[in-house]
Order: sequence, then C-alpha cells, then structure tokens
Amino acid sequence: MRTSFYIIFTLLLMQGCSTKVNTLPPEQKKQTPQQYTAEKIDNTDEDFEDEFSSSNSDEIIDPLGTYNRAMTTFNDTVFTYALNPLSKGYAAITPEPIRQGVSNFIHNILFPIRFTNNILQGKFQNSSDELERFIVNSTVGIAGLFDPASTYMHIPAHNEDFGQTLGHYGVGAGFHIVLPFLGPSNLRDGLGLLADGYLSPLVYQQGLEKYKIPNDYVQTFAMRGFEIVNKNSLHLGAYESLKKDAIDLYPFLRDFYEQKRITDIEE
Amino acid sequence: MLKNILLILILTMTSSYAVQEKNIKSVMDAKIKQSIKIFKNKSLSQKQKNKKVIKIMDPIFSYATMAKISLGKRWKKLSSSEKKAFTKAFEHKIKYSYIDKLKLYNNQKVMTLNPQKVKKNRIKLTTKIIGNTETYKIVNSFYKKKGTNQWFIYDVQLAGVSIIQTYRKQFKAFLKTKSFDALLKTL
Repeated sequence: MRTSFYIIFTLLLMQGCSTKVNTLPPEQKKQTPQQYTAEKIDNTDEDFEDEFSSSNSDEIIDPLGTYNRAMTTFNDTVFTYALNPLSKGYAAITPEPIRQGVSNFIHNILFPIRFTNNILQGKFQNSSDELERFIVNSTVGIAGLFDPASTYMHIPAHNEDFGQTLGHYGVGAGFHIVLPFLGPSNLRDGLGLLADGYLSPLVYQQGLEKYKIPNDYVQTFAMRGFEIVNKNSLHLGAYESLKKDAIDLYPFLRDFYEQKRITDIEE
Repeated sequence: MLKNILLILILTMTSSYAVQEKNIKSVMDAKIKQSIKIFKNKSLSQKQKNKKVIKIMDPIFSYATMAKISLGKRWKKLSSSEKKAFTKAFEHKIKYSYIDKLKLYNNQKVMTLNPQKVKKNRIKLTTKIIGNTETYKIVNSFYKKKGTNQWFIYDVQLAGVSIIQTYRKQFKAFLKTKSFDALLKTL
C-alpha cells in the first residue's frame, strides 16, 4: 500500500512539471493575464457566432402569445399546487417497481401509435424493433408490466408520433399553442395528437369502442390524469430543475419545446 | 482497488488543466463516473457533494467562452468591468443549473460514445443515459483553444436542446426591452 502511494505521489509531481512546460503560451509574455484571456476569446469570435446564429427570424410568429402566457402560468400553478404534491404522495405510498410497471404497461399499449408512425416515415427497421418489443413485452413481460425487451434484449424504443411524421415530410410547426394540462405544443403537433388519438387504445372514440379501454371521455381524462401523476412520480424534481434555466418561463418552455421537436424529427 | 487508484490518478492528473484531444473520452467518462459516485455517497451533505462535483467539472468548462457566446453581438459593446461581472454571474448560474440536473440521475446505465470530430477545432462527445423507456442523450461540445492543445466545453445539449442556445435566445429577448444591469440583477 505504501509503495503504491509513493509511486502515485512521484508521478503526480512529475506530471506537475510537464504541465508548466506545455501550457505556457507565447502571448503571455507580452500581455497582462486579464487582457490575454479577453483577446484569446475574441479570436474565435466568428466561429461561434456562425454556429449559434439561429435560422429563425428575430420576430417569432406567436399570434396566441397572450393566451399562451396565461395558460403557461395556469399549468405551472396546477403543477406546483396539485400535480406535484399528488405525485409525491403517490410516490410515498406506492413502491417504485409498481409505478414503473404502470409506466411500462402504458408505454407498451401505445404501440400502435409508434408502429404506425414509424411505418409512415419509412423507418422499417425501427418499426420492426417496435414490433419485436411489443411481442416480447406483452408475452414474457406479462402484458407489458415488465420490459425484458430493454433489460435483456436491448432492443431500442423508437418514439414516433403523428406530429413527427408530419414534420418528417416537411410540414412546418405552425404557431405555438400551450395546451391546458398537457403543456407546450404547436399547430402541427396538436393535430398530431388528435390523429394519434384514433390509434391510441387509451382515448375513447365513438365508433371504435371495441378497441378502446375507456368507455367515454370522462374515463379517458381520468386515465390520462393517472398516467401523468404516475409518470411525474418517476421523475420528481425534473420540472423544477428545468425551470431554473428560465428567466422568462413561457418563452423558455416554448423555445425548449420547439428545439426538442426539431431534434426529435431529425432522428 | 487498482481500478480506484487508476481513477484517482486520471482525475488528479487532469484536475489542474484542461483535456487533450486523445484523452477526451476517458477523462469525461472518469469525471462522470466519479460525480455519480459522489452523489450516491450518503455520508456527504448536499453542499459538500455540489462542491466536490464542481471541482471535478471546473477545469474542462470554459465559462468565459460560454458567457460570451450567450450574449452574442452584445458582448463586444460591453465594458471590461461589465464583461467580468457578467461572466461571474453567468458562471455561477450555469454551475448550479448543471449540478441540479446531475442530481436527477437515478442509477441508470451510463455509456460514453467515441468522440466525433466535426471540425478541426470542434469535437462532440455523446453520453447516453439509458433509462427504462427512454434514453437521454447528453452531448458535450468541445472547442480547442487557439495556440494550445487544450480542449474546453463550450456547450452542453440535454435531450437535443442546447443550453447555450437557450440562454442566448432568452438574453436576446430580455435585452430588447430591459437594460444590461437588469439582466445582471436577474442572474
């Protein structure tokens, strides 16, 4: 033990020596440390500006701005005073494996949405992954409560929705809309949600009762509410952490959402 | 035992200066794993944990560059004392925002991929956090400081959203209607 300590100590000392030689830049001899730092940064100016200048114009088209702001405040209040306390209480009395099981079950049952949208985007390898996952998890995973497809077989999930499909084919996002309870969305993605509603076994549709679990809209909302409480209970602290980067909550969430959607559509 | 020695060795060697190109992946991987270990350590207080993790991450982040990029063209118009004040405030904000997000880590599997050299002086390093139904991607963007062999982080992307871009947009919108001093106060 002692020998290894001395070896490490000597190595560290030697390392310290070589650092000084490597990092002495020529300019430092001429300028004071403060000036040196500022000038070094300014040299790479143009590179960074090009990389970060956004393609969006300065004026973001936001016709529903006032409504969106109000709805953001509403959602934030509902989250802080209703949803989050509920999720925390629920998390305290329900063991994590059960809550994870609920999440797995819901994720599994929404297979039709992911499968259809992967096919519509021509992502055939991804849709076959999704099919494999569905079969494995529904059987070995006991009706989707468990996720052996991820844990043992490492088949990746491919989350696609109709909004992404539309985006894939070049449909622009349209103006931003903040949905009550559901949060940020936009014209294209809002329509996407409606379309996916037909495919989702968890959303009631007249005429498709045979394939749907809820029997009416009230049950749909109740189930969706439970799904959100459960999901939030598995990610406690995430929303508050995200908010910390915000100076002005509504534009922050809006830009964050739009940036994320662009990335989601690209992959 | 040997693994721990190696880990300490890498970290102490690199804790005093930034990273060289060939070591980027191993250094980041070691730093992330060490940070995770610290967060799991139940004998430390939250404050102690934060301090330790900041010490690990500090050498590879270039806060001055991040502050400059986040203000865009406005940066050039600032006096040098304003630049200093802003960099200080921004550095503090970024540090605690980053630490706050690391806290959310919950025992998932972490996998660091091979670095991608996108330009002569830009490298992107992707780390995947593999959860149950979702995989989160963290992309650390490194740039090479001119005239040196050292690489620093200038941006972090969480789940496809660039932190610096987010701040940039926010600052731009803020400075349209309010003064620079007001921005400093907010930070």
